[in-house]
Amino acid sequence: MNGQTATKTTNQIILDGLWHDNPIFRQILGICSTLAVTNNVINTAVMCISLSLVTALSAATVSAMKDWTPKTVRMMVQVLIIAFYVIIVDILLRAYWPDMSRSLGPYVGLIITNCIVMGRCEAFAQSNRPWPSFLDGLFNGLGYSVILLVIAAIREVMGMGTLAGYPLPYFSTQWDKWVIMVMPPGAFFVLACLLWVCRSIGVKEKKA
Amino acid sequence: MKESRYFAVVYMFGLTAICSTLLIGLARLTDAKIKSNAQIAFERAALAVFPAVQVQSDAEVHAVFMKDFVAPKAAGEAYEYRPGGQLAGYALPFEGQGFWAAIRGVIGIGTDFRTITGIWFYEQAETPGLGARIVEPFFYEQFAGKQFADGSRPIRIRPPAEATQKDIQAITGATQTCTRLEKLLNEAVTQWRQKREATAQP
Repeated sequence: MNGQTATKTTNQIILDGLWHDNPIFRQILGICSTLAVTNNVINTAVMCISLSLVTALSAATVSAMKDWTPKTVRMMVQVLIIAFYVIIVDILLRAYWPDMSRSLGPYVGLIITNCIVMGRCEAFAQSNRPWPSFLDGLFNGLGYSVILLVIAAIREVMGMGTLAGYPLPYFSTQWDKWVIMVMPPGAFFVLACLLWVCRSIGVKEKKA
Repeated sequence: MKESRYFAVVYMFGLTAICSTLLIGLARLTDAKIKSNAQIAFERAALAVFPAVQVQSDAEVHAVFMKDFVAPKAAGEAYEYRPGGQLAGYALPFEGQGFWAAIRGVIGIGTDFRTITGIWFYEQAETPGLGARIVEPFFYEQFAGKQFADGSRPIRIRPPAEATQKDIQAITGATQTCTRLEKLLNEAVTQWRQKREATAQP
């Protein structure tokens, strides 16, 4: 993202994806799915794994084909490649994990339009070799996953009193469940608070 | 050559053809599996509405379903449940629009045509923690043993404060889901009743 992509080391790629250029709280990408699938930890985890794999594989493929791809159609090619991988994930889930496929509903297909995937293809993979692109895609996906899982854990515990489906001691009994947490607005509150915390830490890091 | 307009068009067509071919191949390979998943989900629901049946694996579910259930002759009618050849009830499939997406399930009806033996939802995407709680035992277990009322509203799902012994208690905070569920259940039951009466008195 900083124009010095060609010389990034593996460590830099990993740290940038997870923290310095984190797709959620730095780039504010992929917010739609952040709000939609984070009311239950299990669903979120599957969504995150799918997204990380799709981002990594699409970035590697885009990078491998960049020398032959005409500049005029490069975005069409990127969307085609992303859609290709997403449909594979969707078909595999439907065939081998039907319960999960039913509970994620249309959101697997909507990975195609997740800005993170195309963002990494265009910003990084288009000007880097396949292996660094793969890593960049994977760790941006993981950076997204970490934040989503934190949001999902907060929402599920406060809204339903369970974590990954298991009732927690205090929250499932005495805690007055916050229904708003499992509704879409709950995600806005949690996301905003998390952005605030993460960015405050980022500011302190810069000063030090 | 790379920047030629024709090359870009040919390149795009070629790439699309390759990707589509691979995806169609994968879809063909998994098609049977996906169809059987949907079928098993339905069969499991049909078995679940009769409390006496206890089965675990997909293969067992399919075996019992094929042995004990007789498929209806027309859409909107119920499956006959005949364990060991003796009629023991009806499994009526229902589906319709919930709050977010379709709700699909099966309701079990006793041989008196009135008593509900059980209900099972095998597909729903209601709000987690609210409408989605229709799949939790505290809600669906209420149906077993209830009797259909006469008229166009055989099943009544009412707010807990207003519900009598004959009614199903709705889920607080899931009014939309409960209202739609009641509507789609009553449509299915009413249609089934009319068809059954039409065939009983020709």
